[in-house]
Amino acid sequence: MGRPSPPAAKGGPEIPTTTLRVPRPELLRRGTLLLRLSRTFHALTGAFALALLALFLGIVATLTKASWSSILLNGPGFLGRDTWDPVHGVYGALPFIAGTLVTSAIGLVLAVPLALGVAVFLSELAPTRVRFALTTTVDLLAAIPSVVYGFWALAVLVPLMAGSVEPGIQHLTGAVGPFSGHAGGLDVFTAGVVLAIMILPTISAVSREALSAVGRQQREAAMSLGATRWEATRLAVLGPAMSGIVGAILLGLGRALGETIAVTLVVGNNNQVPSSLFSPGQTISSWIANDLNSAVAQGPAIYGALIELGLVLLLLTVAVNVVARLLIWRIRRGEAGGSPLRRRRPHRGLAAGSTGVGTAVVPGAHPEWRRAALARLPQRVRRRHGTFLLVGGLCLLATVLAVVPLASILYTAVGYGGPAVVRPTFYTETQPAACNPGPVTPNCPIGGVGPQIEGTIILLGLAALIAVPVGILIGIYLAEYGRHRLGPGVSFVTDVMTGIPSILLGTFVLVVFLEYVPSVANSGIAGGVALSILMLPLIVRTTEEALKTVPVAVRESALALGFPRHRVTLRVAIGTARNAIVTGVLLAAARAGGETAALLLTTGGFQYWPLGLTHPIGALPLVIFESGLSGYANWETDAWGATLLLLGIMLIISLSTRLLLRRAPSNE
Amino acid sequence: MSSPVPTGKLAVRGLNAWYGKRQVLYDIDLDIPEGKVTAIIGPSGCGKSTFLRCLNRLHEETPGGRVDGSITLDGAEIRTQNEVLVRCRVGMVFQRPSPFPNLSIYENVAAGLRLLGIRQHDQLDAGVLDSLRRAGLWDEVKGDVDAPSTSLSGGQQQRLCIARALAVGPEVLLLDEPCSALDPIATTKIEHLLHELKESYTVVIVTHNLAQATRVADHTAFFYLGKLVEFDTTDTIFHHAKEKLTENYVTGLFG
Repeated sequence: MGRPSPPAAKGGPEIPTTTLRVPRPELLRRGTLLLRLSRTFHALTGAFALALLALFLGIVATLTKASWSSILLNGPGFLGRDTWDPVHGVYGALPFIAGTLVTSAIGLVLAVPLALGVAVFLSELAPTRVRFALTTTVDLLAAIPSVVYGFWALAVLVPLMAGSVEPGIQHLTGAVGPFSGHAGGLDVFTAGVVLAIMILPTISAVSREALSAVGRQQREAAMSLGATRWEATRLAVLGPAMSGIVGAILLGLGRALGETIAVTLVVGNNNQVPSSLFSPGQTISSWIANDLNSAVAQGPAIYGALIELGLVLLLLTVAVNVVARLLIWRIRRGEAGGSPLRRRRPHRGLAAGSTGVGTAVVPGAHPEWRRAALARLPQRVRRRHGTFLLVGGLCLLATVLAVVPLASILYTAVGYGGPAVVRPTFYTETQPAACNPGPVTPNCPIGGVGPQIEGTIILLGLAALIAVPVGILIGIYLAEYGRHRLGPGVSFVTDVMTGIPSILLGTFVLVVFLEYVPSVANSGIAGGVALSILMLPLIVRTTEEALKTVPVAVRESALALGFPRHRVTLRVAIGTARNAIVTGVLLAAARAGGETAALLLTTGGFQYWPLGLTHPIGALPLVIFESGLSGYANWETDAWGATLLLLGIMLIISLSTRLLLRRAPSNE
Repeated sequence: MSSPVPTGKLAVRGLNAWYGKRQVLYDIDLDIPEGKVTAIIGPSGCGKSTFLRCLNRLHEETPGGRVDGSITLDGAEIRTQNEVLVRCRVGMVFQRPSPFPNLSIYENVAAGLRLLGIRQHDQLDAGVLDSLRRAGLWDEVKGDVDAPSTSLSGGQQQRLCIARALAVGPEVLLLDEPCSALDPIATTKIEHLLHELKESYTVVIVTHNLAQATRVADHTAFFYLGKLVEFDTTDTIFHHAKEKLTENYVTGLFG
């Protein structure tokens, strides 16, 4: 209500001819003020965008600095040595690098065909009626926290592997070479299977995006030539989408390389180069998760060597993510030149024909073969339809297989955790003393996870307090100001940062706190900061995307009314994109709420009521990680309860945001 | 209007079409004469494109697309035939040039032939050469058929799409506003091409451009709000329309 209203003309004949005239000097002053405000806002958002770049470089620099002593001490041989022996001061990274690469490779080999089948099915072949429901279901897999996958794998997958899958494979292969050894379930193969389940939704979602970026007209053009749905996909869609699909696979690889908690739980934790698929191993991330906290106390040599391991992982994942993002960006920006030109052979015959017009180069009388081809067509079409049904069936099978873990996880969590979460005391009490291994009896109470629920809320609140405003400001910069200079770089770094394994974010925060404020290195503050770094790139990205969907016409019409630039952004653009931004924040919070690896290193783990931000603090995912392995019946029941609780919250957030976003376009 | 006995190459009877719950075509009866160019005109959203997409059964591939009624090709109902067979006989070219971007010029044209099961190089070469000639593109690509299809200009890409459609040897060619994304010179080339094509093919073209309809079409159908208002020779539609609505449209009073 900043402007004076024109004098009311009540039915009278005197209609004022001049309604409003602001004196020129005042207008000028106000304009200058607004201009200054606008510039300040621009500068503010730009500063935060620069800070994001600095954060990324800071992560690399910090890990490099903290591992410098180890780099000097262990030399380049660090990467090739196969022994990790702190007692004799021998540090070699090979067991962990080998474990990481082997588990990731198994994960990729298993996940890629399935994920591509799922993507093709959901984007091209499935009947439109079931597409949304199936897509939503598959995408839910991405919302399940890593610790839940790990705990489920420990309870369901490992016995299955040890009991039938691995002996079965050994039976088929004769248990030689990579299939030799004692198949105990806790090994690199199981870890690879878990990784496959976990990266499948990533690969299939990004591939699907690449597939659907190909225009509908391409598919219809192929179908108009008489292609079946599958042939149209092969001919018109897969080629242009190929770089995006490769990007999706690399993105999946990046996730597999850095995945920590689920792998830690099932990989067997044996610091040796795995001698077969069925031997226990250790990955870089699982070893950091296992050992970093105690290494801090054990002295600088082992600490430095562990950080150097982290640096290796960082460089590896950043490199993979950079390539992946470059490939995906081309698709998103509509520069889909696609895969290199398909050349079967040079067409010399035709090239020669170009010099002289005439009939010399036409071999045979083509109307005849065309007639012959058409005569054979019905039979051929039946066969091609058979191919379509076969491919469609395989893709459907892949989709069903992809959904099986989701069903199993829900079933298991409800079965074991259901009795815990229905008790009101589960939300208010602390965990009781551990009972001896055995069934839960009246003398052995279940207790609850009240402190950890409170801890998670506190940690998330702190993380959101930092990440939401900063993330939105950076997102604004990227969408509104950053199209020319700094923008694309920051935007790219944001994407790459989403690919940095969370265990390394935790390591980074721990190293920084140990260096500058060691007294709170294991505290609520450290945990909150770690989670905020995890959330930040996600919020930046969704804010940028949301703002970019606001039509230029809306902005320009506001500018034409004399709105200053920053007000257009804050009022008009944010107002229009509000729903999408809120959704992004919720999804980021969901991701952080299930995060375990980073908190494992930074919060100190605590099973009593929080004492404050500067003290160690508990969190729901940590209960699962710590109590799930305890072997005590009452603690494990708590862990299952926490699993079910976490799972429920994640699935509700994921489902509701999805439905919210689906409804959004029809409102406009 | 059309007689109860199908006379045309394509005969449409009682055609209704829907997008989800919204009906876009109402009881269309139309006979498309063989070896002629038939233009479909009408204001935006009147169902022209949907009508065209029913003729090669592409409409039913669209999410929510549903069709009811009868369409016969040479007297045989197409809606009970295998859609792949129908589409081999009824080719289509779209509004925006849509060559497969990752394939060369040669492979774009050969794509349909390969689907037909043709593998021998000499046959493929002959088919590609013939189609490029018919589409008037051969002289312009000058034998550089291995160039990426995206290196062509918009008009050339559109003629490449025509060549691609011709390669499988269709009897009917459907064109959905083929010139709306092209400049006047490219448009002229395509219009010339249509004159040549009608000697061997039955052509149906949807166009927004009334002048284009008068230039290329022997017959013209005027659609309005999903209904066929009038169908006659182009001369009659544009100069002696029987319906007032048609007259108003072709004289530019609305649309």
